[in-house]
Amino acid sequence: MKVWQFSEQAYHPAFDVPGSMRVTLPSRHCDPAVASTLLNRYLDEYMLADELGYNIMVNEHHAAATCMSTSCMTTLAILARQTRNARLLALGIPIANRSNPIRVAEEIAMVDVLSGGRLEVGMVKGAAYEVFMSNRQPARFNERFWEAHELIVEALRNTGDNFSWDSESYQYRAISLWPRPLQQPTPPIWMTSSSAFSSIEHAKYDYTCATFLSGAVARSVFDGYRKAYLEAHGRPAPDKRLAYLGVVAVAADRKTAYERAEHMKGYFTTAARLDAQFRNPPGFNPVKANVKMMQAGPNAVRPRLRNGAPLPSDATIDQYIDAGLMFVGTPEEVFRQLEQFYSDVGGFGNLLMMGQAGTLSHEDTVDNLTLFAKQVMPRLEELSMDAPEVRYEAFA
Amino acid sequence: MTTEASAADFLQAAKVVEIQGLKLELVVKGQGAPLLLLHGMDGVEGCARIIDLLARDFTVYAPSHPGFGASELPRAFSTIDDLAYFYLDLLDHFDLQNVTVVGFSLGGWIAAEILVKDASRVSRLVLGAPLGLRTAERRKSQVTDLFTLDPKEVDATLQVTPASKSNLAALPEAVLERIARNAEAVTLFGWSPYLYNPKLHLRLHRIKAPTVLLWGEDDRLAPLDYANSFVAKLKQARLETLPGCGHRIYVDSPDAAAARIVSFRSAQ
Repeated sequence: MKVWQFSEQAYHPAFDVPGSMRVTLPSRHCDPAVASTLLNRYLDEYMLADELGYNIMVNEHHAAATCMSTSCMTTLAILARQTRNARLLALGIPIANRSNPIRVAEEIAMVDVLSGGRLEVGMVKGAAYEVFMSNRQPARFNERFWEAHELIVEALRNTGDNFSWDSESYQYRAISLWPRPLQQPTPPIWMTSSSAFSSIEHAKYDYTCATFLSGAVARSVFDGYRKAYLEAHGRPAPDKRLAYLGVVAVAADRKTAYERAEHMKGYFTTAARLDAQFRNPPGFNPVKANVKMMQAGPNAVRPRLRNGAPLPSDATIDQYIDAGLMFVGTPEEVFRQLEQFYSDVGGFGNLLMMGQAGTLSHEDTVDNLTLFAKQVMPRLEELSMDAPEVRYEAFA
Repeated sequence: MTTEASAADFLQAAKVVEIQGLKLELVVKGQGAPLLLLHGMDGVEGCARIIDLLARDFTVYAPSHPGFGASELPRAFSTIDDLAYFYLDLLDHFDLQNVTVVGFSLGGWIAAEILVKDASRVSRLVLGAPLGLRTAERRKSQVTDLFTLDPKEVDATLQVTPASKSNLAALPEAVLERIARNAEAVTLFGWSPYLYNPKLHLRLHRIKAPTVLLWGEDDRLAPLDYANSFVAKLKQARLETLPGCGHRIYVDSPDAAAARIVSFRSAQ
């Protein structure tokens, strides 16, 4: 099991501002001096993660107090120089929100070269509300995503002559990446999924498929991926192609771990603060999906507890653990929770670990990362790569 | 026409016609001179009442725009221009002459885009609170942004008449699908620039047909000020305001609007 440290790099002092944390939150609530301290602190924690044997994941959001990383590749350009061993994962770049996919390819190639070939690239659709900041057309978003993906991959892998490009949304006269990526034909590519259906394409492309904080839904995502993978490639999907993102709070004693978890819970309670009109702009999702959402009401998209009930919005730490969103306790307890979850979802090879979230302090984050790296990470080796073929014979 | 049941009844009369390979949902109603009615953002069902009123004096052709209701949306369609050219094909298809074109809101924008291209089959134009001219300039916006509006405010912004509260989850799937398609089509055609064509103001002078511009005095989406930009460009237009009426003229003042349209035709 590979473990990736991840923080959304929140501007948590704004959590006290009433109302939405995204899209509409005025930037006057951001003190840039405080932002400077926090962003540098988060980078320090990423550097510590590198020393402790973690890999690194960064993301991006826009107009949000919950995430100050507004560009995956800017953050990774720094870490490319300041880390030594970690794989560097951008998860991800919202390519259908970018106006210039070739600029995206250039940044990928540059960071890959800078890092000595340690870059991994997530191309993501991103959250629906991000279109309010990019202002790109929400309708036909999915089509534009695949169009941008095709162009970026063509640019990254090109070893022949320069080429021109003309597709519905993108036209270029001369495409030529200087530098071109170190990893050939491209850095490893990741995508995200929250349903069995959306993981099918990822499997066909042999891309790593990550699912975020989805609890029991991870099972159907991974099953869908494995089924499609076997059909497309004639061999079972390796665990290393599957990734799960969860929040981890570990401490020498249970009480301290739960206190840390309470601070990290701030991620969930603030991430959800968004005015209704921004949640699902018309056209972003297919008509059929929108009809289902109207029929099911707002609870349909909430993660579930093991008994099937939706996770309450004011859930306790134990409920977050039960839903598979948080792993909390002593090193032994956290290992057991991860082991159980691993078995529940049929295995995965990458733990995308929020080792910092919400208002968790630097000192607590350092201890959290250190303890996990020393006492949990080595034991995760037992879980992965255990030749899972037997379980998937049914698909053959 | 506010209840779902009556919308369903109204749509019973709709048929599907194929024009240039596009399957179009079309209501044809009434007798008399031809009138092409172009609906607003809430679909042709929103105009059911005024269609019934106009059908007393006209043969009303009321399509669901491509992408709305049950009308197909060709993959290549992405702008109001595409709809305008398509409606020119529709006029050819039925070989209509001396048509009165009536468009409300988004449909008013489409109507204007049709006439700047080819008005040869059109004798009169009625624009009911049309969109299509610049809705914002730098930091100042003239037309309320529906995409960023609290959902609870949308109906109150669009109409004076209190909207019937319907429980979405309880509606038939076919109705929900129309709601979702209508919203998606508005996004496709109106997301950005927000509900306008930056070139239209250069072309409006081409409209020579006698034009009446109807505007609700209580339009909270596109206030009367916005009407003036149309008046300035449409030399033949007469602005008539409707008291106690919001943006959805066809909801707030269908009788008054229908009467104005009928008298506009009789007057010339």
